[in-house]
Amino acid sequence: MKSLDRLLKGQQGVIAYLTGGRKFLSRITAMGFTPDVMVSVVRNGGRGPIIASLRDTEVALGRGEAAKIMIKGDSCE
Amino acid sequence: MNNPVLNKPITIALAGQPNTGKSTVFNRLTGAKQHVGNWPGKTVEQKSGLFTYNNNKHHVVDLPGTYSLTSNSLEEQIARDFIVNEKPDVVVVMADASQLERTLYLLTEIRLLSVPVVVALNMIDIAEEQGKTIDSVKLESQLGIRVVPMAAAKGRGIDLLLEAVENAAAGGVCTSTEQSVAGNPYYKSIRSIISGKFDGVCSEQWMTVKLIEGDSKAVETVKNTLSAADWKSLKELLDKIENGQLITAGARYSWINDVLSSVVNREGESTAKRRGVKFDRAATHPVVGKMIALLIMVLSFAMAMIIVMPIMGLVQSVIPGLVELVRETFSGSSLWFGSLLADGLIPGLFVAFMMLCYVFGVYIVFGLLEDIGYLSRMAYVFDSSMSKIGLHGKSVMPLLMSFGCNIAGVTGTRVIDSWQQRMVTLVLVSIVPCMALWAVVSFMGTIFFAAAMPLVVLSLLLVMVLHISLTSAVLRKFVVKGETTGLIMELPPYHKPNWRTIWGHVWVQVKAFLKRAFTLIAALSIIVWALSYQQDGNMGNSILASIGRFFDPISSFLGLDWRLFIALLAAIIAKEASLSVIAVLYGLGAGAVSITSLLIPGSGGFEEAALIGTIAQSVSPASALAFIFAFFFSIPCLGTVATIHSETKSLKWTIGASLYYTVTSLVLGGLAYRVGLLIF
Ligand SMILES: Nc1nc2c(ncn2[C@@H]2O[C@H](COP(=O)(O)OP(=O)(O)O)[C@@H](O)[C@H]2O)c(=O)[nH]1
Repeated sequence: MKSLDRLLKGQQGVIAYLTGGRKFLSRITAMGFTPDVMVSVVRNGGRGPIIASLRDTEVALGRGEAAKIMIKGDSCE
Repeated sequence: MNNPVLNKPITIALAGQPNTGKSTVFNRLTGAKQHVGNWPGKTVEQKSGLFTYNNNKHHVVDLPGTYSLTSNSLEEQIARDFIVNEKPDVVVVMADASQLERTLYLLTEIRLLSVPVVVALNMIDIAEEQGKTIDSVKLESQLGIRVVPMAAAKGRGIDLLLEAVENAAAGGVCTSTEQSVAGNPYYKSIRSIISGKFDGVCSEQWMTVKLIEGDSKAVETVKNTLSAADWKSLKELLDKIENGQLITAGARYSWINDVLSSVVNREGESTAKRRGVKFDRAATHPVVGKMIALLIMVLSFAMAMIIVMPIMGLVQSVIPGLVELVRETFSGSSLWFGSLLADGLIPGLFVAFMMLCYVFGVYIVFGLLEDIGYLSRMAYVFDSSMSKIGLHGKSVMPLLMSFGCNIAGVTGTRVIDSWQQRMVTLVLVSIVPCMALWAVVSFMGTIFFAAAMPLVVLSLLLVMVLHISLTSAVLRKFVVKGETTGLIMELPPYHKPNWRTIWGHVWVQVKAFLKRAFTLIAALSIIVWALSYQQDGNMGNSILASIGRFFDPISSFLGLDWRLFIALLAAIIAKEASLSVIAVLYGLGAGAVSITSLLIPGSGGFEEAALIGTIAQSVSPASALAFIFAFFFSIPCLGTVATIHSETKSLKWTIGASLYYTVTSLVLGGLAYRVGLLIF
């Protein structure tokens, strides 16, 4: 299991669970991040925010935010 | 249709996630008949409008764009309170056909409330382009809610939407249960405890789901409604629920997926491509992306100036004639009144008009960048840089707008969703020099520092960066404390520009500016006119001059004499005016009977060469440096101050910020003077 910020560009995986406070969870889930959904990483430069793609949407996430999203079964495309 | 002609207008609430085309629909519905204000007591913009359809009056209220309806953010709270308390006749929920899964999320919440709902399935054209086919009839029967397929930007579907709205308003509520959340083991028991207590718009099922979610507002409401014993048993249940937020959100999405499985056909998708993929790769690249952003900014400002220059030039060319005409008309008995108009009011209005041009230009350009979807990429690319001063990427846009015009920068902070971040950015934007300021800086600079001018500009910019960082740190530490949440930002797909939408946004802003700034600037210029009016043109004897001399202790700290100090003061009305003010105060201008008449370019009646000569003789380089710094960081123009007030709705913030700019500008000017004395 890895957090989303560890996924490299082009890799994808399924969200296992999310951590964090109420406010964060409510925002991130409304953006589409919930357990069992497939996410792929569009951009991850190693520092700075990443871009993730899920449910037909692209979302920019700070590294701290991405670190709270745990991914299972990550794979290279 | 057999609707009776109603006396009371039908109230429509327009709800939707950001970027689903809500403003486009709103503009299509209301046309020019819009009212823009703020939500009562809030700093969030409220737009509403009236229109008539089928002989019925309709009142549309644009709810803030939100991704969900929790009680965690101001916008969500506003949208929720409006639906619950104002009980609109119909709620139109926008959905984006090209991103249906996510954009239906808001609907899963709203449909639990007891209000009639219509779904506006927008961006059908884009979904088609992407090769998706959506069976809207099936969607409608699955949801049990009227679904209207639309392409709002092209005006497609508006009539159908109106018809659906009218039917829904007449037909009343069709409540639906949230099957998937109802499967939650606690759902039944919770619902039975609150049973019979909630029969308003806030239905029992809504309340039950919100309780499972752990929504603080719902918990509070229920606590106040239930008896102590009931509350105790409810509390026990609620305490057992873990991850309520995740469970409900997950349940909503699986419900959406169930609904969509037979509605969306993605067979054609593989062959179609998303727009602008190649450009996006460059635009979000950490290095290339920044370069692209800066290039686009430079081009944008150039474009803005190309758009507004001709208008500015035209007005500038007719003003002197107008002033002459007014003077002649009143040259008889009421000389002073003629002067009030010709030297006070008209120049004031002229300045306000010039500001309007800057605002207009910047808005058109940024409106375009926003509309095509580029601005969020810019925010993304600058996020790490901005985080160094404790801000999000979204703050970069208002800061950049500010280089064009501080007024636009201040209103630009609206895109920032966190209040804390927004207030910090709002104070920071006026530290950025606007376009009007450079003329004066480069004029003064070249007289004294000729070849070293690039160095002066560089140091100004360096000090600006320091100033911004320090101000941000101080504000975040002492004034707007609170946790910073990191970046979570949708990157909407690129669109072709839609000039109607852009024009709609620009027009709203222009009207708002007219309302708040014109009267204020006109009033202030009349006051300043009165303070400086001298029929013989010797302004050294005016009240304003005495005021300037009164501040001698401060001016001498900066190594300035009262004349340069007054020029600094004049900058409050308009930065551009400072030069002619200096010229006249040094006795070069002819024919000016008050400071305000100098607001019109070329009205000082001085030779530039003479001004250069005089200044070079009577001002020391250190003083000039001090003037440049104090001027560069001085309080922004009155239009900006007025905008700070209208955006914050707070006198405290407006005055506080103004004092802060004034003090820092004097301190920086003073420091520059000391440094200047060491160098020269
Ligand atoms: N192709 C297409 N573009 C649309 C449609 N509706 C809105 N847009 C564009 O989508 C973008 C976002 O629209 P806007 O009304 O500002 O969204 P809001 O954030 O929900 O208010 C703008 O560029 C619109 O011109 C549509 O039906 N089709």
